[in-house]
Amino acid sequence: MKRSNEPFFWLLFGAGGMVAALIGAGLVLVTGLLGPVNLIVPGRAIDYAHAHAFAAHPLGKLALFGVIALILWHSVHRMGEVLHDAAHIGAAVPLRIVALLATLALGWILLAI
Amino acid sequence: MSEIRIYRRPMAARWWARNPTYRRYMAREASSFLLFAYALTLIYGLWRLGQGQAAYDGWLTWLASTPALLLHLLMLIAMVVHAVTWFEVAPKTMPKTGLPERAITLGGIAAAALGSLFVVALAIWWGAWR
Repeated sequence: MKRSNEPFFWLLFGAGGMVAALIGAGLVLVTGLLGPVNLIVPGRAIDYAHAHAFAAHPLGKLALFGVIALILWHSVHRMGEVLHDAAHIGAAVPLRIVALLATLALGWILLAI
Repeated sequence: MSEIRIYRRPMAARWWARNPTYRRYMAREASSFLLFAYALTLIYGLWRLGQGQAAYDGWLTWLASTPALLLHLLMLIAMVVHAVTWFEVAPKTMPKTGLPERAITLGGIAAAALGSLFVVALAIWWGAWR
């Protein structure tokens, strides 16, 4: 019997789901709500100098790559399931290709900073 | 010779809308679209960051606009729905621990609240003292 590659994608789904559950709300607050309006989180935290220093550091790159890629792979797995269940559309493979391309783009963008 | 006819059980297009459990399931699964959008938003922001200060400042201006804030508000709601439902399902998907399911769910939600609080605290420190 051919070995299934599902466990690998399920691992990404599970890890991404855990990361999003534990820190996702905090991330959205910092990068999308409190930071941009300079409320509680100082706007300085996400200004050019600070964002650049964070993304230029190897550990910052690693954290950004890990967190964003895992959330990405988590979400495409679920989107594949919900499109199948709610709309009877089989989109799992195209969605994985999208996630792969976005992951490669993310890696390339981070290495270029 | 007759064609092969496969029986397809009839299914309403919005089968999930009638039952509260299925609606909850759909809300949980639908949150993934906003999580996906958030990941792409961050990748786009990093791309602008790599293009230099002028590009990134333009990105920050967009982030402070009303549509961007509304979008992020929806993403925040999706993240909270995700976290709560994630730990509601966790006792059923993880190996048995002997702990009551309710304890795992509440413990997970508490960990999520602390984790997000930690991220916000880290950002305050990063912006105010570094």
